[in-house]
Amino acid sequence: MSGYRLKSGGRIDRSKPLNFTFDGRAMQGFAGDTLSSAILANGVGTIGRSFKYHRPRGIYAAGIEDPNAMLEVVDGHGREPGLRAGQVHLVEGLQARSVTGWPSPQFDLVSAATRLMSPFMTAGFYYKTLKWPNWSWYEEAVRKAAGFGAPDGTVDGRQREYRHASCDVLVIGAGPAGLAAVSSLKGSGRDVVLVDHASSAGGALRWEAAQIDGSEGMIWADKVVADCQADGGQVLLNTFVTGAYEGNYFTLIESLVDHRGLKAERIWKLRAREIIMATGAVDRPLVYQNNDRPGTFLSTSVRQFISEYGVAPGKRLAIFTNNDSGYLTALQAAAAGMATPVVIDTRSAPSAAHVEAAREKGIEVFVQSQVADVVGGRGLRAVRVVDQAGKIRTVSCDAIALTGGATPMIHLAAHRGAKPIYDEASASFVCATLPKGWHGAGAATGSRELADVLAQGHAAGQAIVATVNSAPVANVALGMGDVVPMWQAKTGSAKKMFVDLQNDVKASDVQLAAQENYISAEHLKRYSTLGMGTDQGRTSNINGLAIMAAATGREVAKVGTTTFRPPYTATRMGAIAHHRQNDGFAPRRRMPAHSDHASNGAQFEDFGWQRPDWYTKNGSDREAAVGIEMTAVRTGVGVFDASPLGKVEVVGPDARVFINKFYVSNLATLKPGRIRYSVMCHDDGIIFDDGVVACVDDNFFLAGPTSGNAETVGAWFERWRQTEWPDMAVAIAPVTSNWAAIALAGPKARDLLARLSPDFDISGEGFAHMHFREGTIGGVPARAARVSFTGELQYEIAVPARYGQALMQAALSEGADLGAVPVGMEAWLRLRLEKGYLHLGADTNGRTTPLDIGMGGVVMKKAADFIGKRALSLPYNASEGREELVGLKPVDAPIKIGGRILADGYAQIPCPSIGNVTSACDSPLAGNIAMALIEGGSKRMGEKVKIYAEGKITEAEVCSPVFVDPQNERLHA
Amino acid sequence: MIVLNCPYCGQDRHEEELTYGGEAEIIRPLEPEEASDELWTEYLYFRTNPKGTHHEQWCCSGGCGQWFKVARDTVSHDILEVVTFDKRLSA
Ligand SMILES: [Zn+2]
Repeated sequence: MSGYRLKSGGRIDRSKPLNFTFDGRAMQGFAGDTLSSAILANGVGTIGRSFKYHRPRGIYAAGIEDPNAMLEVVDGHGREPGLRAGQVHLVEGLQARSVTGWPSPQFDLVSAATRLMSPFMTAGFYYKTLKWPNWSWYEEAVRKAAGFGAPDGTVDGRQREYRHASCDVLVIGAGPAGLAAVSSLKGSGRDVVLVDHASSAGGALRWEAAQIDGSEGMIWADKVVADCQADGGQVLLNTFVTGAYEGNYFTLIESLVDHRGLKAERIWKLRAREIIMATGAVDRPLVYQNNDRPGTFLSTSVRQFISEYGVAPGKRLAIFTNNDSGYLTALQAAAAGMATPVVIDTRSAPSAAHVEAAREKGIEVFVQSQVADVVGGRGLRAVRVVDQAGKIRTVSCDAIALTGGATPMIHLAAHRGAKPIYDEASASFVCATLPKGWHGAGAATGSRELADVLAQGHAAGQAIVATVNSAPVANVALGMGDVVPMWQAKTGSAKKMFVDLQNDVKASDVQLAAQENYISAEHLKRYSTLGMGTDQGRTSNINGLAIMAAATGREVAKVGTTTFRPPYTATRMGAIAHHRQNDGFAPRRRMPAHSDHASNGAQFEDFGWQRPDWYTKNGSDREAAVGIEMTAVRTGVGVFDASPLGKVEVVGPDARVFINKFYVSNLATLKPGRIRYSVMCHDDGIIFDDGVVACVDDNFFLAGPTSGNAETVGAWFERWRQTEWPDMAVAIAPVTSNWAAIALAGPKARDLLARLSPDFDISGEGFAHMHFREGTIGGVPARAARVSFTGELQYEIAVPARYGQALMQAALSEGADLGAVPVGMEAWLRLRLEKGYLHLGADTNGRTTPLDIGMGGVVMKKAADFIGKRALSLPYNASEGREELVGLKPVDAPIKIGGRILADGYAQIPCPSIGNVTSACDSPLAGNIAMALIEGGSKRMGEKVKIYAEGKITEAEVCSPVFVDPQNERLHA
Repeated sequence: MIVLNCPYCGQDRHEEELTYGGEAEIIRPLEPEEASDELWTEYLYFRTNPKGTHHEQWCCSGGCGQWFKVARDTVSHDILEVVTFDKRLSA
């Protein structure tokens, strides 16, 4: 086939030629072209190979409904591995490439091989071969054959942004229906947003011959748009409405194109009171033998190529139709100066006016005829036409236009749950009822004639608000006519009739699915992959369903459609994830002393806060630095920034009763100035947080949840206060960020604290382990807790956040001669592992209860109810053999975190597992150590277990998790 | 995307400003130790999951921080009723 640029016509700007390449060949188009129209104008036939059978395929349609035109596109702003060519605006220097076919779509090596394997990959191929004989025999070939391009891992230069908006009326589609609605609302005072995916308004008026209100269709369209904007309306072109959600909430993606290509994408989240769904329709193709050859087009797209882009899709056109609109295509082709086309009409009695008009132009019309087959492989050369009597004639042509009726674009209403119903009159699925506030108009409702479309659009506007505006009046010479369905040609092999061109699903595959009883629409889709491509089955679904109906002796209405889900069309992940990368991913939370950490060479990691993992000041590599930091804590003093540690104040006469309901330990007896460690559960008995609680006084408790749960625990307290105990006299104040906290840990911690000028007694007796003091340090208010995460003498000093940096600086400078060093998270976590303290979320999981971590005694001692208590005596929580937290020492090789513990009696995998390694590290004092959750762990002390990790099986011994200072002598120093 | 009018602060709150808290009017037995395993399991895990009117807990977490109750149609997402937490839903 041989498309070419017509001498005149189209809405392109012929004064602005644009150079681009396709598969390396230099080509030229014009401003206003899409990549599809430009490629077609350059005579390209084959643009790719099909998914399963590697058959040559060409441009098929002008818009996103094209199942074939998936191309890799490089423009001035970036590269995209697979775009629909009809959606790409041509720009200077654009490079497009085929993404299917190797070494080139014209000469495809795989094609020959797959042709031999043709029975392979019929319907149910994936279902069947995953079961038998062996998926792995096929996997490599299938993976090689599959897909439409691959990302290259580079980040493009496109900009993205979000915008939130609302409006009174959202008009989706700026074709005649949508524009009639907009003009109906003119002067109503309603805030209107008009959206269209094309770069100019008008919809089908851009290519159809029509007059409205006495002027040319596009002149009317431009005036409606100008009036709308003058009225304060917003017109979003190059914009897809991608999803419709409850509350009439919509997502839109607006493309902003400059002379170099797609510069930016703007994602809108728009809420509207009323919606005009004027989303139009696309042509439905006809199914016949070899209906996938390059040179095959949707009929309306041919009119669009001719009249919008000035491109003839071939030298001589055949039109295969079951309705009057095919004649419009023939007449446009003749009027554009193409060779006289031919019409093949399935009907016995076409519209006399249309036939007359065609014959006047010398167009030959075959009635009651069908296409039986085509001649030509990579390029169409002729079609074989079979008439009612079975007589076959060969008609030469190099392009064929198909229309089997129209498929209304009902996706958005269906996203909201509107049920598609088969409408006999238009032979299509439409939504009989629309969501609240929605008004349908135009081809999206199954309407075919312009007069009806305009009347519906006008009525939709009037339904929202009555105005004095009158309905636009259409004047068209020839209409679209009714559709007489023809779902599958009566002559030809179903094995060569393609229903879904993108996924290579044939009529025979649908029939095979029927034979194998995959007869529901949803089963058919999954079994055959019908409609599962990036075109979302726009051209294939209805034909497939109708062929299924015929194969099972049902009416089309009874087969129904599959579920429509957002997005309406393929959407770049970048548009959604937009700026959520690097620093745009989430705000970085910095601790008050951040700059000091940075100047000490902190290697920051994000733990919800930017926290030092280790410091280059302490060592040139991580292991060296961590070793020095751990040794400082064990032998001198380490300074750790604990600012993110949770701080929740619970205040009021009922504070003690209230907080006692949350922790597993008995806080009823906790004296003022004292601290207790405990864990907290959800009501199902599963541990959800751990930490210390200080009793400041009888009306004031200070909870210290883990850093990661700081906000969650505050909200948890508050929720129970509001919803379960609203009569308790208690107030909750999450104050985590109000206070900075520095921990001093190590045998010299007391010496260092003394140098920081506390105004209270810090002697071993005056300020013992698990005591709490309020006072001043260095003259600023301070809350000091003697608690330990490291097993050493340790103080945690909280000061108002604005003094946090000064405290950090003072601790390091005053402690310099004591060997004070800053300590990062890694050293801190290894120190606690040496001591056998659990790390919440690492050493506990979604099944771990207090009983599983050795707190059974604590639970037993508490008489009062607490959240989670009752669940601990439910049979599955109280049962034997649960996973319990224990220590592990290596026998033959270092223990790896995440390793699976092999069940008793097994020496090899695969085998059942009885637990996993939850923490592991190398300790300067204790060597390689680990903790693990193991079934019945507390009864396994001294047992040897086998661990599978990273492909190896090693052995370890179960032990107490306390590896350093089991007598707590350091703690109480 | 749901919009709820918070019965405490009176503002329309968008789904992103709200926190969902599961089914409403789940009673925590007052005497947990007296409750049978069946009753406690029922309280912990069993929910009605209706197709149609569902009673729900929501929190105005991006606003005033209060928990309240909502009757919502799980098919249409229509909001049928919103009440403060001390009230029972009638829808
Ligand atoms: Zn509120």
